[in-house]
Amino acid sequence: MGQGSILIIDDDPDITEAMTVILANRGYEVRSAQDGSEGMDRLKEAKPDLIILDVMMRTSQEGFELSRELKHNEKYKDIPILMLTGVKQKTGLDFKADAGDEAWLPVEEYLDKPVRPDVLLAKVEDLLSRS
Amino acid sequence: MENLLTSPSLIQRAYWLIRLRWVAIATLAAATFVSHELMGVSLSASALYAFAVILLLYNFVLYDLLRYWTWGDKQPSPTRITGIVTFQISADLLILTTIIHFSGGIENPFSFFFVFHMIIASTLCSKRQSYLQATLAAVLFGGLVILEGTGPLPHYGLANFAGHDLYRNSTFIFGFLFVFIVTLYLVVYMTTSISEQLRLQQESLEKANVQLEEKDQVKNEYVLRVTHDIKGHLAAVQSCLDVVLDEMVGPLNERQKDMVGRAHHRTTKCMEFVTALLKLTRMKLTGRLEIERFSLRNCVLSALALVQNRAQSKSITLNHHIDPAIDFIDGEAVLIEETLTNMLLNAVKYTPAGGSVGLDVKRDGTFVQVRISDTGIGVPPADLTRIFEEFYRADNARATEREGTGLGLAFAKQVVERHGGQIWAENNPTGGSTFIFTLPSHFNEPDS
Repeated sequence: MGQGSILIIDDDPDITEAMTVILANRGYEVRSAQDGSEGMDRLKEAKPDLIILDVMMRTSQEGFELSRELKHNEKYKDIPILMLTGVKQKTGLDFKADAGDEAWLPVEEYLDKPVRPDVLLAKVEDLLSRS
Repeated sequence: MENLLTSPSLIQRAYWLIRLRWVAIATLAAATFVSHELMGVSLSASALYAFAVILLLYNFVLYDLLRYWTWGDKQPSPTRITGIVTFQISADLLILTTIIHFSGGIENPFSFFFVFHMIIASTLCSKRQSYLQATLAAVLFGGLVILEGTGPLPHYGLANFAGHDLYRNSTFIFGFLFVFIVTLYLVVYMTTSISEQLRLQQESLEKANVQLEEKDQVKNEYVLRVTHDIKGHLAAVQSCLDVVLDEMVGPLNERQKDMVGRAHHRTTKCMEFVTALLKLTRMKLTGRLEIERFSLRNCVLSALALVQNRAQSKSITLNHHIDPAIDFIDGEAVLIEETLTNMLLNAVKYTPAGGSVGLDVKRDGTFVQVRISDTGIGVPPADLTRIFEEFYRADNARATEREGTGLGLAFAKQVVERHGGQIWAENNPTGGSTFIFTLPSHFNEPDS
């Protein structure tokens, strides 16, 4: 069974619900937020061990902006971020070139949506064991 | 746009005029030789031979000038090109008149050649310019025969060919000139009106083409938006079904599991289709490649590794041969690996169990050629090109594999053509088919 607390920030309630079930079933403590500002509120309430963040929320850049903000915040910069995307390559947002550039895309991992439950669990476990 | 032709084709025509002139010079020399030496027509052969030499020099100079103006990527201004062409035509009219003067004047039937210049002017130059050229030809030739007939200019008659005092017969001169000049203007009138019609047609075709491209762009943007939205919903559906199917929200009985499994399977297929369509549309819309120098060898090997399991489960042998001289090429590695993987998966998909799939990478001039051959169902000959169209699936492919997006080869074609390569399919004489694509490359020799 997994241990740790996870914060999901995604504006799609159905995907959030599915992920919550998958992660809670494994024993993680899961909370969720629908957008960046709600995410910040949840963060202030309690600091999670991992953040799962959707790239595209209300604006196509919101996920990126939030991840940058978090990585520049002394308090939160050590929380690993798993970024979810509905888009892989060829979006104008080029992951390949910039994934190495921490200042630009400061996330630990990213996965293409939809994420299979086993893939999600494996990735989460991996990220939590790193810290 | 005044002219029928665009600048590049006008330049080609300017070269074409020079090539025609080589022929004309040869004809002049040959005609002089035949009529003077063989047929015994009396004419000032030495003057005509001298003209051939002068023309030869003139043509060389013109050729060099044109080469200088159009060297490399140099694109002379339209006015200059039109100038070159107009100059050539006017100069040719002058030269033709001079030649005719030395070879019988009005007696020389080569005066019909003025008509050629009218046709050339009418197709290459503006209407106004063409009529000016017709007037120039009329003045030159008319002036010549009148001056020869009335005395100021000497007449070099064609004895043994035409009557010796025809050139002084004013009725004949008048009649001949009348028909000659009318012919010139009529030819210009007819040719320019046809050219103008062609020009208008060309313009409206160009306009239609631009409109089609704009519409295609709008369509692509629309498809992109729609598929993107559908993909969001599908991802949610799939995630929820995953949870149910993995029994995370309670156990399922066999019947429930079967039905949810069917729904899940169809969602996955739909997702694959939407993803493929999204990828293809994005590719068409952005079209920019991120070219890097990458190892085609590694790309091929990792595509093979991805397909290995699928092949093994169908007992299909996977052979490959890569020319040892081939390694690094220019291109977008991710796209090329995806294309390779797609095409290998296709080969495995349409090859019956126990068959074989071969991949061969070799040089093809300045290109690399990748050949993927199989012992599969082959492609109906009529479909060999159509299978690269979006959504098109050959009948036997549809019969073998019900599910398939019909987009895989369209994507491969986009990728290959964006790289400046070509893609096509062939049927093997012994059964099965071979899919071939080429990619441009500079090779990294193993030694260098």
